[in-house]
Amino acid sequence: MTTDQLTVEFQTFQGELKSFLLRMTASVQDAEDIVQETYLKAHSKIDTFRGESSLKTWVFSIASNLARDLLKSKKRWPENVTDICKDAALGNKQFFQEAIHIRETSPQGNFEIKEHIAFCFTCVSKSLPLEGHLVLLLKEVYGFKVREISQILLLSDAMVKYHLHVSRNKMTEIFDQRCSLINKKGICYQCTELNGIFNPKQKAQEELLKIEMAREAENRSQDELFDLRMKILRELDPFESGAAELQLHHLEHNRQVMEKYLEENS
Amino acid sequence: MNRQANPKTRAGEATTTKTIFSRETSVSTTIFADAAIVWALLTHASDFPRWNSTVTSVKGEIREGGSIELKSTLDEKRTFKLKVKEFVPEKRLVWGDAMGSRTYTLNKGPENGVLFNMSEKIGGPLFPLFANSIPSFDESFEKFAADLKKEAETIQSSKK
Repeated sequence: MTTDQLTVEFQTFQGELKSFLLRMTASVQDAEDIVQETYLKAHSKIDTFRGESSLKTWVFSIASNLARDLLKSKKRWPENVTDICKDAALGNKQFFQEAIHIRETSPQGNFEIKEHIAFCFTCVSKSLPLEGHLVLLLKEVYGFKVREISQILLLSDAMVKYHLHVSRNKMTEIFDQRCSLINKKGICYQCTELNGIFNPKQKAQEELLKIEMAREAENRSQDELFDLRMKILRELDPFESGAAELQLHHLEHNRQVMEKYLEENS
Repeated sequence: MNRQANPKTRAGEATTTKTIFSRETSVSTTIFADAAIVWALLTHASDFPRWNSTVTSVKGEIREGGSIELKSTLDEKRTFKLKVKEFVPEKRLVWGDAMGSRTYTLNKGPENGVLFNMSEKIGGPLFPLFANSIPSFDESFEKFAADLKKEAETIQSSKK
């Protein structure tokens, strides 16, 4: 493959790569840096690409290794990240002022509950062990097969299956306990609370009926509801959606709160 | 020493042998899953309580030279502080303290399965003094082996 061919093909999945890295790092800056570094590495090593996997798999392998290098020394976030960040946001006038300004002025400043569901998953999934987080996103959100993930992460198929199973179970359990959209006893209502702030004229219940996961909450198993949650993530590009700027602003807030929290609690 | 299943005992059934100065319990079962999956389940400490009904918590790292703090349903008030004594990936794991050692071995089993064996030997010169106060491990061992087999085979057959 020539470097020109690489450049053309890279562009076809660059958006997915950047979204994957954002969901791994929770940082726009880190995601963009790693995309750039990945391209440069792929460019300089293109003569070692033998076509034993697809180019996309090979490039995701480079990017995953860079993300691993960045994240392996950092602490994982706690499962109740959204509670901690909510408390911090309530005491941060500037955060809400900026958010309202984005909501009123940006073409990507909409607030949509399903966007917040994806945002919430990005935060909570950072409580998984790093390998499990990588495997879960690659399989459930970016559609790689077990064999391809083995190539990307240099793990055996068995270990990919292990990480996938454990991560799915863990996330399913956390959301079943927390998310009021799928469990009436769930303790977290942040998406509907924020909808009330950003879309005061909307009726949250009507909005929830538009979301299959919430609509089907009583009819589906926990496992199926998790699949519907993953479907929401698959269908959203966190950089291109109509709510991107608002959600990325919120994500940056949470990232900063978490960095401080983890430092204070180390 | 790699213990093999005693052909006289049924798969998944624990056996205990006692002497004046020691007691040893073991259980064997064939698990139809990749050895890597069985090994991953045995060595990811914090994940134990999710699949293993005999363990309430494991803190620390199960790795060469590592140490763990384990709480089991056998005596929930007690925390066992254990050192990893042997760690041969996908083959053999031994942890224990001054009182005794727990050994896990994985060997090739029938029909591409993994022959899992778990044994624990406790003993020493003072063993006769407290032998009667130590509960039987048999039921706990059988549950452990059954839980491990079920979880590993579930992961192996996962279509996800």
